[in-house]
Amino acid sequence: MVFQIALVAFAAFAILKTWKQYRARKVSKYWFFVLCVFWIGVAVVAITPDTTGIIAEAVGVGRGADLLVYIGVVVLFYVVHRLLLKQQQFSDEITELVRQAAIERAGSANHPHLASPLQGEGGEK
Amino acid sequence: MDRKVFLVLTIYRLLSTMKIVAVIPAYNEETRVGAAVRDALAHTHAVVVVDDQSTDRSGQIAEEAGAIVLTHHLNRGQGAALQTATDYALKYLSPDIIVHFDADGQMQGSDIEGIVTPIMLGEADIVLGSRFLGKQAENMPTFRRLVLRAGVLFTFLLSGIRISDSQNGFRALSRTAAEDIRISLDRMAHASEILDLIKVKALRYREHPVTIRYSVDTLQKSPSTFRAFEIVKDLLKKKFVR
Repeated sequence: MVFQIALVAFAAFAILKTWKQYRARKVSKYWFFVLCVFWIGVAVVAITPDTTGIIAEAVGVGRGADLLVYIGVVVLFYVVHRLLLKQQQFSDEITELVRQAAIERAGSANHPHLASPLQGEGGEK
Repeated sequence: MDRKVFLVLTIYRLLSTMKIVAVIPAYNEETRVGAAVRDALAHTHAVVVVDDQSTDRSGQIAEEAGAIVLTHHLNRGQGAALQTATDYALKYLSPDIIVHFDADGQMQGSDIEGIVTPIMLGEADIVLGSRFLGKQAENMPTFRRLVLRAGVLFTFLLSGIRISDSQNGFRALSRTAAEDIRISLDRMAHASEILDLIKVKALRYREHPVTIRYSVDTLQKSPSTFRAFEIVKDLLKKKFVR
């Protein structure tokens, strides 16, 4: 019972927070809508835990709690995948930065007659 | 005229007109990089060394030996250093041929003429050095030989390219091939990545026997043969994650 009340209160708090962010134009109308649906869903599940059982049965999983765990695992896999991609992208960007710095330094030292890279193609606009 | 004499004369003429630039990635090679640069410089027009954030005097020694030295402010790996040197050469040195060379003295500068010849004659876009064609690698440990064989098989399965030595760092690339091939795997997997790109970009390639001289010194320095696992990991990551 305590857990249910806490969860509903937290959902209400989250919706209030999102509403404020929406009013301050920090999130779009679309995201306000998505987050509201999500937190209302959390509140509904907290008040009537049986609803997850209905959904679980509809998609062919035995219990509602099991369904949540399955969804959680899939979401975690996806998040880890995204993180790896992001990390790889950062690594590539660092390499490119280190590379450009090395080339520019050696270029202006060894080929001063060629225009400064900043004035050349792809420089500052 | 005898065909052989004609060929030799043609090659000699081309050698004097085509600009060859050697690119050398260097990481903590102060005891060997000087000799390697001089050796390469004796057979090329310019040598570009990328000092990959060495903690010793590699960069300074390479410069004293006559190389153009670029410095990575963070260690980014051998593949990244090769690409940096290549970018620099293409931008400032207008090379006709780029040769990938090592800083540790295992490669012989005298092999450069042989490896660039097919490109000069227009028979190939990229020539790959091989330790397993005729010329024998000197003092190669048996276990390393086995791992290299496995690498050849793995490369064939991954990229469908059939060659005798997939992990040899000695190569020559025509200007267009060097512009076409961009190394994105920063660490050791670039050798296999280049092979993959040869297939993807449909470049004409050829193998050429080179001598790789293993010494006690270089065997101690070069990372263990188990780095093969790192290479496989990087390659699979590129194929499936990116």
